[in-house]
Amino acid sequence: MEELYNVSSAPHVRSPLTTKGVMTDVLIALLPTAVMGVWVHGFPAFLVIALSMCSAVVTEYLFDLATHRKNTVNDCSAMVTGLLLALTLPAQVPVYIPVLGSVFAILVVKCLFGGLGHNIMNPALAGRSFLLISFGSLMTVYSVDGVSAATPLAELAAGKAVDLLPLFTGFSSGVIGSSAIALIAGGIYLLLSGGITWEIPVSMIGSTWLFLAIFGGHGLNPAYILPQLLGGGLLMAAFFMATDPVSCPSTRDGQLAFGAFAGILIGLFRVKGASPDSTTYAVLLADLFGPIIDDLIIPLPFGYRIPKDRKKAIPKPVFILLSITLVAGLALSAVYGMTAGTIEQNKAAANKEAFMAVVPDAVDFKVDDTFKTALSEHEGVYGEGFGSASIESAVVGTDSAGNVVGYAVTVFNADSYDGGLKLVVGISADGTVNGISFTELHDTPGMGMRCGDPEFKDQFAGVKVSKFILNKSGGSTADDEIDSVSGASVTSGAVVNAVNAALDFVSARIG
Amino acid sequence: MEVKTFHGGVHPAGHKELSQESALQPLLPQGELVYMTNQHIGKPATPVVQKGDKVLAGQVIAEAGGFVSANIHSSVSGTVKAVEPRKNASGGSAMAIVVENDGAYTLAEGVGQELADVEALTNQELLAKVRNAGIVGMGGAGFPTHVKLTVKEPEKIRFVIANGAECEPYITCDDQLMQTKSKEIVAGMELILRLFPNAEGIVVIENNKPKAIAAMQEAAKGTQRVSVMPVQTKYPQGGERSLISIIAQKHLKLGMLPADAGCVVDNVATIYAIYRAVYFNEPLMERGFTVSGDAVEKPGNFIVKIGTSHRELVEAAGGFKLTPKKVLSGGPMMGFAMTTLDAPICKNNNALTTLSFDDVEVAQKQMTACLRCGRCSRVCPLGLSPQLMQVAAQRKDYERYEKHLYGLECIACGCCTYNCPAKRPLMQLFKQTKAEIMAMKKR
Repeated sequence: MEELYNVSSAPHVRSPLTTKGVMTDVLIALLPTAVMGVWVHGFPAFLVIALSMCSAVVTEYLFDLATHRKNTVNDCSAMVTGLLLALTLPAQVPVYIPVLGSVFAILVVKCLFGGLGHNIMNPALAGRSFLLISFGSLMTVYSVDGVSAATPLAELAAGKAVDLLPLFTGFSSGVIGSSAIALIAGGIYLLLSGGITWEIPVSMIGSTWLFLAIFGGHGLNPAYILPQLLGGGLLMAAFFMATDPVSCPSTRDGQLAFGAFAGILIGLFRVKGASPDSTTYAVLLADLFGPIIDDLIIPLPFGYRIPKDRKKAIPKPVFILLSITLVAGLALSAVYGMTAGTIEQNKAAANKEAFMAVVPDAVDFKVDDTFKTALSEHEGVYGEGFGSASIESAVVGTDSAGNVVGYAVTVFNADSYDGGLKLVVGISADGTVNGISFTELHDTPGMGMRCGDPEFKDQFAGVKVSKFILNKSGGSTADDEIDSVSGASVTSGAVVNAVNAALDFVSARIG
Repeated sequence: MEVKTFHGGVHPAGHKELSQESALQPLLPQGELVYMTNQHIGKPATPVVQKGDKVLAGQVIAEAGGFVSANIHSSVSGTVKAVEPRKNASGGSAMAIVVENDGAYTLAEGVGQELADVEALTNQELLAKVRNAGIVGMGGAGFPTHVKLTVKEPEKIRFVIANGAECEPYITCDDQLMQTKSKEIVAGMELILRLFPNAEGIVVIENNKPKAIAAMQEAAKGTQRVSVMPVQTKYPQGGERSLISIIAQKHLKLGMLPADAGCVVDNVATIYAIYRAVYFNEPLMERGFTVSGDAVEKPGNFIVKIGTSHRELVEAAGGFKLTPKKVLSGGPMMGFAMTTLDAPICKNNNALTTLSFDDVEVAQKQMTACLRCGRCSRVCPLGLSPQLMQVAAQRKDYERYEKHLYGLECIACGCCTYNCPAKRPLMQLFKQTKAEIMAMKKR
């Protein structure tokens, strides 16, 4: 036998597509978005993209070198991560931000978990969330054309109308990769070239839309829904982040469930959440569920029906944990239900105590209609000349015979030196201040805290004026002058403003 | 008209143009002929000749070793040189009968005699003829045809499917056979249809063979029960399960036979052999065969005597013009890689594909970690999840592999492996895992 041919297991031909090809396709798909970003934000955007991509590649190269692994830079996956991260950053961030983000994404999220194919979540998004947590103030300053402005979604949340055209082009306040039209073009390219399938984008955008339509409070109003869908990184996430094959489920049914889960989280975070970065955290959370979804949702081969013993596919611990959670949750809510009445009573009793302290002659306190109307008219900051004081509640105190003997007004003032104060002002039926009692006072001990001392508090008692005046130098003689606690004029002033607000509020009633 | 197809599948480059226009040319063997006793699924045949015996063409030289087995006939006249173990194309060693060709091709008595009254044959006689002729599935499996045709409840068979899909790249011998022997194939189908009173005969052909489709349609014109169904060009269109899913709209499961879905599937070459056996009392001695690939000078189709060495086929195709890196018995998707050309052609071998390149070698260099992209699931014609199967197999979690992922269903078509961008050797792993699970079950 002169010849010995190559022997291997079939199939002997392979499709031309390689991992590098898959990654290159993603880079091509992101190109329009990157170009639009640079066009809108100029050189800083280019710098961010270049730095992010370079540091991603260098990090992976050095990691491979240091750990004696096969060099994996050639598969282009690090470039994809770098580019994706850059496109989720504002253009004006300092140069170390994209570098740090990329290093974190590649080193911690990708390489330490085993490199390509082993990261538990999308590295680029994880890098972004790392930056958000560590450099929050730098990461959320957006501007366009050198003018900083709120993002379209923030404006929408504030009740303003949002113009759609800037959302499409990317000429709006936001991250580098925020041009909806470019993202959609890239998404369509990936869909057509087979880089991604329709399941995740459709189920994710669809469920976000559905959630916002039901719980967003604006129904199907396109002026609300469309900016929600086009902005806030949803398109970027739906086409490029959530579809990261490594961290999403690998089966079709699993992907549908995954997309729906991420979409609902985005809706939930946008409607109820405080952070403006709903998308980042929603996708990262969903990524963590990827392996569980793959474990539980296994598509049946053609021609198969769900076998009777299929539930065994769900591992026991899941059932056990689920039952524990359910039982604990039910127990907690039952306990709360049983004690809710007592808690309310305790609260009312505590309030009554505070009222009794300043209106000692009264035995019963209640909100009457006059106060109810007045309260609704004075929601929020009370008005000019009273600082930030706001009336929280006002009750009428009556004696055992039912005669009005005084009023107790609870005032909150955010102007105090440290964290705001809340006090109850007792005013007798003729308008004389009976006294004040603090229910909340956080301040510097020995200084602001001394506002709670009788020396300061008692200056208000038994005085009948329409307005008190703060005397910062001390030694006041007039009834309407209040000596400031030395070294705590800010808090003292806040107290005076709060009492004045209460007086003004009650004067409207007793004339 | 809507062209039907199955779920999944891939589109490897067909390269049919290399040999598509080459008519089947008879090729007379030059050297010795080797008849493997295991050229079918089932028990090996028992040799009934000894060294030095004179044999005639069409003479039985090994008898079926049981019901699931097949007779083996000499394809030439000459002298038995040896009865000894030899290697077949896939490298397996088995007992073989070696015959020295005398070049006269003297036929054994009765072979080639036209049967005057085919109509008078009973079903039993018909089956006996197929059985005696040693006919086996010529599309690749080598399953004895008389076993396939012996169905418990013949009246429940609704479809007799003639498989002319020929979805493997490079291979064109069935295409040529259908173009030139269309009438005979239809006559063969009508013979099979006699066994199944309620069945309809359907010839399935991929739509990249317009000439074969036209020829078969023409031949089927005057018949009551035979029709032609063009299907999409897609691998593995010619797989038994793919065909049944298209025609009977049923998906076979592990352990099920086509008959369970009311189908009988036979390759067109097998049907032609049945025709020859019944009408001309001719056992399976020769078959259509494609020699193709970029390494041979003149790719083409031949009618070869069973037992001819693959080496002679390369010579017939003008020898090598490029140094071959890989030589395949069969096509590139499911064929076996041969270490050497010195192996005889068996009844179920339909092609020799010679390649000057080796994609697998390249793929091994390009291999990366699994991206979990799911391109494997998308192309699996059975709807399996190869990505999850891979993880389970690597963890040796056979419980999950078999019970939850239905891994044993895998028909080893290789679509997942073909399509994998990370170039993971999936099919190799699945074959190995299946073997391990089967071994554990036996224990």
